[in-house]
Amino acid sequence: MPITYDAVKALSAQLYDWSLRRVPPDTLGGLEAALATETQDGARQVLRMMLGSARKAEAEDRFVCSDAGVPVYHVTIGTAARLDGDIKAAISDGFDALVERISPPLLKHVTNPLTNERGHKGRDMPLVTWDVAGGADWVEILCQPKALGSGRWAALETFSFPTLAQIEEYVMKVVMQAGSQHCPPVIIGVGIGGSFDVAARIASKATMRAIGTTNPEPMLASMEARLLRAVNATGFGPMGTGGDTTALAVHVDYASGHGYTPVAVCFNCWINRRTRARIHNDGSVERME
Amino acid sequence: MSAPQDQKQGTAGLNRPRPADIRTLRFPLTRDDARRLRAGDMILADGEIVITAGLPTVQRLVACAEEARDPPIALDGGSLFHLGSYSQDTADGGLEILYMNPTTSTRFNPLMPRLIRHFGLTAVGGKGGLDAGCVEAMREVGCVYLSFLGGGAPLHSAAIKAVREVAYPDLVAHYRLVRLAVEGLGPLTVGIDAHGNSLFDALQQQAADRMPDILARLDADRAAS
Repeated sequence: MPITYDAVKALSAQLYDWSLRRVPPDTLGGLEAALATETQDGARQVLRMMLGSARKAEAEDRFVCSDAGVPVYHVTIGTAARLDGDIKAAISDGFDALVERISPPLLKHVTNPLTNERGHKGRDMPLVTWDVAGGADWVEILCQPKALGSGRWAALETFSFPTLAQIEEYVMKVVMQAGSQHCPPVIIGVGIGGSFDVAARIASKATMRAIGTTNPEPMLASMEARLLRAVNATGFGPMGTGGDTTALAVHVDYASGHGYTPVAVCFNCWINRRTRARIHNDGSVERME
Repeated sequence: MSAPQDQKQGTAGLNRPRPADIRTLRFPLTRDDARRLRAGDMILADGEIVITAGLPTVQRLVACAEEARDPPIALDGGSLFHLGSYSQDTADGGLEILYMNPTTSTRFNPLMPRLIRHFGLTAVGGKGGLDAGCVEAMREVGCVYLSFLGGGAPLHSAAIKAVREVAYPDLVAHYRLVRLAVEGLGPLTVGIDAHGNSLFDALQQQAADRMPDILARLDADRAAS
């Protein structure tokens, strides 16, 4: 049984639905770890509220946030996957079907950028990126709905042969611009190099790495550790009303490029919406997170 | 206002309260209650609030103020929170709010001073704070900014006791103007008090002041790695 239109349609809809009702386990762990180290009483109270909100959403099958965002999918197709049907259409149709049936209903967040008209549908919605995995016999779908509160603070600047000091200073500049606004403690993704679009993609994907994992590149691992210390030294704190916990993680990745080096920085809010599953060639669905 | 009430706190004075300090206040907040609050206090809200997450909605309210028309829901001396909600009709002809959560307040910065002054609002709020122009209007009028937990929809929604009024039905759900009865809404952090103290501005300044040391530490850590 190959990977079918129906299977992709059903799974892409389910991933979006699931992502709205549960904070990922690594993120709950990050909030609990922050609660143990946070020195400000008010900040601890906010962190406790975050954990309480997450638990209540899961227990009562509610949305954690009313801004369900817009559906963003990252699809990876294995070169050994056997496809039967238009899986691109399946993702779009799955979103449409979900809008019809989801309870509670979704707010109309999909916005025409030229007219600001809002609805459930629109051009290029859902937003999908496509990648290929050599030899794999599955299709992986990662759903990361993006809300306005944290989405709007992403930024990118292009440098020529920057030093690490310049790159890190730019990250801190973007952190300062976001300030209290993006529902901290956030997960920060940094993408260095490649080209304009590649750097942004790397930054976005970096936010999806599990909190607590160590970057396999020692140079990046140490950069992540010192940037996390630096971000938390700013003192914006949970929900930006003060404290030691402004970020739960900083994840950095890079691609080689020419010498003009884009540096992209983006943020996920504390609820860190993220679900991922694979459909294998035998039709089985493997829920990854 | 007396001088001590107007005195601004330094950043060092903006320590948060212990949870035991959280009081429940009646809404609409009285002007005296608003002025008694200090940036960093945490409170719970009982009573009635007015909410919307919509820029078109806030623009319509500004038009009401400019044209001396009454808004569809009375705002005088009340609150206007930047909260989005999803409501649906109920079998008995009423409305039920399915979920509610704050939206970013700063995009309303240009419009809020006019509304705060015209309607004499005692409380505004949402998430992320408001700018210096709003802080000044709030100080003049005696109005506080309350910071809601973003991603707190299950908690905020559970505090809703009744939907009293819904206006602007032509707008999408979260843009409508809604008057709600709430009980135990919060805890809410006083992000900006009625005396010109803004946690958001103070923390932004604090972070800017710390930045030379933060960058120096980054350099030292990089050199050691």
